Amino acid sequence: MNRFREILFVLLLVFFLQSCAGWAKNKDYHPFDASGLDKLIPGKSTAAQVTEILGAPSEIVKLSNGNAYIYRRSLSKGTGLWLLIVSFGNYDVHYDQIVIFLDKKNIMTHHGVTLDAHKATYGLPF
Amino acid sequence: MVSPFKVFPFLIYSFLVGNLITGCVSYRVIKAVEGRSVSNIFEEFRVGATTLKEALETLGAPDQVAELEGKDVLIYRRSLLSNSGLSFGIPLADIWGPSFDFSAYGELVRYDLVLLFFTPEGILSDIASEKGSRYPYLKTILSDKKGN
Repeated sequence: MNRFREILFVLLLVFFLQSCAGWAKNKDYHPFDASGLDKLIPGKSTAAQVTEILGAPSEIVKLSNGNAYIYRRSLSKGTGLWLLIVSFGNYDVHYDQIVIFLDKKNIMTHHGVTLDAHKATYGLPF
Repeated sequence: MVSPFKVFPFLIYSFLVGNLITGCVSYRVIKAVEGRSVSNIFEEFRVGATTLKEALETLGAPDQVAELEGKDVLIYRRSLLSNSGLSFGIPLADIWGPSFDFSAYGELVRYDLVLLFFTPEGILSDIASEKGSRYPYLKTILSDKKGN
């Protein structure tokens, strides 16, 4: 029985000595401040005021009745675990996004906000 | 000279077995999720009635915006990548040259998608959605159906 325990102990020791874990964090960063949206009023604020408050958009899309300015940044968190013969990896990406809709006169008509980047988490794939 | 196998038998054998196994068998599981899931919109949204403002307040900023045949499309997308791999091999290449080796890998990317079509006046004119994450990983990746 003692011999079995010794073998088990050594096997476990080898198992963990040959294991490793890693974490990674990536940011696709754009320094817009979502609180600036309070200063923008649909039907009144202009494209110039939008860029003055939020900065240059990440993307501009032409729409049927104007344009959309898209502000986007992401946060990614990765986790890796290697246990001798088994390895696990997990990668979680979330975004902060603001989309400003402008009409043909460059007046803001609508906006949509999603602030989810902080929801990216480390973890295992199950 | 005393054999190290007699002095540290467990350690030596375990080390050798551990290293042999490491080279022989490996299994990996990888998952990557991008974006957020969108709630069931069919209960809240009505074609011809829901406005762009209501959609943006309910779902937040879309992941993509596009114009399609005079209509504006808001696209909400979440992707789920699943990858797994299993390999067997006998690491004797240095002694015997090419040796037995077997490996199987699979990768599946599924999408949860919601597309909302709006008229230039900002009224919802059509909805399209797909919940790819409801398809089980193994069954989907092993399926031989056409188009799958």
